[in-house]
Amino acid sequence: MLEIFGFLLGALVNLKGTAHYFEWGVIQISYANLVVIIIMVVIFILALAIPFPQHRARRSNEN
Amino acid sequence: MRTDSRIESSSSQIDEAEVSRQWTSRLRRSLAGKLPPEKLLPDTQPAYVASWIYVFGVLTLAALAMVAISGAILALEGPDWWHNSPEGLFVNSMHLWSVELFFFFMVIHLWGKFFMSAWRGRRGLTWVTGVLAFLLSIGAAFTGYLSQQNLDSQWISTQAKDAMNSTGIGAVFNVLNFGQMFMWHILLLPLLVVIVVAIHVLLVRYRGVVPPVGSVPRSEEHKPWKGRVRPYDIVKEASIAFTIVAILTLLFSAVFSSPDDPAVTLKQWAQVDPVDFVQTAQTELAGTSESATYGPPYNNQSGYVQSLGPISLQRFAGVSYPINSAQDYVLGPLETFKPGNPALASALSTFESASKAQQASWVAAFGKADAHLTVSNGQLIYPKGQYGPVPALMSNLLVMARSGGLDNALESHSGFYGTDYTKPLLFLADGGYFASIGQKYHLLGNEWGMTNETGNFPGQAWLWLYTFWYQIPPMATSGNGDVLVMSIMALLTLAFVVFPYIPGLRRIPEKVPVYRAIWRRYYREEES
Repeated sequence: MLEIFGFLLGALVNLKGTAHYFEWGVIQISYANLVVIIIMVVIFILALAIPFPQHRARRSNEN
Repeated sequence: MRTDSRIESSSSQIDEAEVSRQWTSRLRRSLAGKLPPEKLLPDTQPAYVASWIYVFGVLTLAALAMVAISGAILALEGPDWWHNSPEGLFVNSMHLWSVELFFFFMVIHLWGKFFMSAWRGRRGLTWVTGVLAFLLSIGAAFTGYLSQQNLDSQWISTQAKDAMNSTGIGAVFNVLNFGQMFMWHILLLPLLVVIVVAIHVLLVRYRGVVPPVGSVPRSEEHKPWKGRVRPYDIVKEASIAFTIVAILTLLFSAVFSSPDDPAVTLKQWAQVDPVDFVQTAQTELAGTSESATYGPPYNNQSGYVQSLGPISLQRFAGVSYPINSAQDYVLGPLETFKPGNPALASALSTFESASKAQQASWVAAFGKADAHLTVSNGQLIYPKGQYGPVPALMSNLLVMARSGGLDNALESHSGFYGTDYTKPLLFLADGGYFASIGQKYHLLGNEWGMTNETGNFPGQAWLWLYTFWYQIPPMATSGNGDVLVMSIMALLTLAFVVFPYIPGLRRIPEKVPVYRAIWRRYYREEES
């Protein structure tokens, strides 16, 4: 059962092929790392830009 | 009955003042005063905490929980399971992707806290513990990469050893010792990470979330928020965060799996590139290989000893894993291969009974024939020369390696940590075969190899700054490059940790208007 589960959940996308790299002067970075960093920056910007759900505020209990 | 009466009687006679003075009572009062239940598990929070940037802290904690769960399963089942069974590989993938998510969320959380200058109002220690958690996590991830028992872990350990050795740390922290790295990875570092993260979270609850820049006078930023609050269900938030992390981890594991290139063995090396194997073995016997001439922590040579000005911590730390290349890689293993092999016994006897000068002469002469060596059907073929018994020694070592016997002879299963690959990995790294595999996978130092994984998997991108320094002069060309990089990183890391206490620098985020985006609703409502 576990083997079937493992087989079914084998890689659907093969990342084990030849790697590709972005090179700019001394900078060399794999596209995999570059994609992760770009997604990180995009999510950071989205986290700043997307409005947070509004809640009804009340005065502090400590007042 | 009489006993009960005595207890009741003595209970009523307890000196309340004395009990109150007890260390236990004092600690309880102190904890209850600083962290009452409503602070530990709040149901409201300041109304300005209204940005998605705040969710990345709890997402980081959720990912840490997933890392711990998947890691615990891997540790219980062991390397054979995670290498050779589909379900083991799947849990290995879960561990990899939860670690990627952990760093992903933690870095965004860190960016957010930086732009909030979240250390304001006596919250410096909260920043310090957060950065320490980040640094310890890098250490935990690094030892995890070393503990995989595959090509990646072999490569990273042979590359990282120089940086560790150059600072003297390598004398006690041996990245080539799988058993020791595994212990750091599954016990010592996770324990430290969890302790520091726990302190960090408690400090957040104790100090409260930093108020928006300019919302209160600077002298009052440490005081409890007196303004508007909003409902906050911390348990619900944590549950949703864990669910999201679990779904992402399972999804990435199913879709992408994880890399697991098999470890390189001496047997494989001797079969695939026997000439390189014999050439390397000759340098071990001659005492001219990298391992033989390295210096501390392997021997007292000076070929790879680094220093910062007049100071060499590497030399100071001394020899802790003695390597005698001729004895450890050639003569010693052949002694175990001698029984039932009279020709080898004779060759060993001839070599060992000869003078040092004669031995050196034979080995040097064989070394000069290096370029003309060939191997046909497993037999070493070499040009005629005055080599003494050296060809017989090399031929037998090749046969021994091709059978897998040399791997067994060099792996150490003695000592506290059980499995130590120091000797076979150093031997492997002395040859050209292992380097050619590293080059094939784009893992060389000048290719930012430390940040790369094999294939198209994301690697240790968080080591980008450390790797960057190796690419530029003088580190790229200096014989002291490792100790220079480690020194620079030590200074930058220290500055990173104590950033809230550096005058001038600590105010920089307040001059960058990112914080206005984080708290824009608060500022808008204040202005209106």
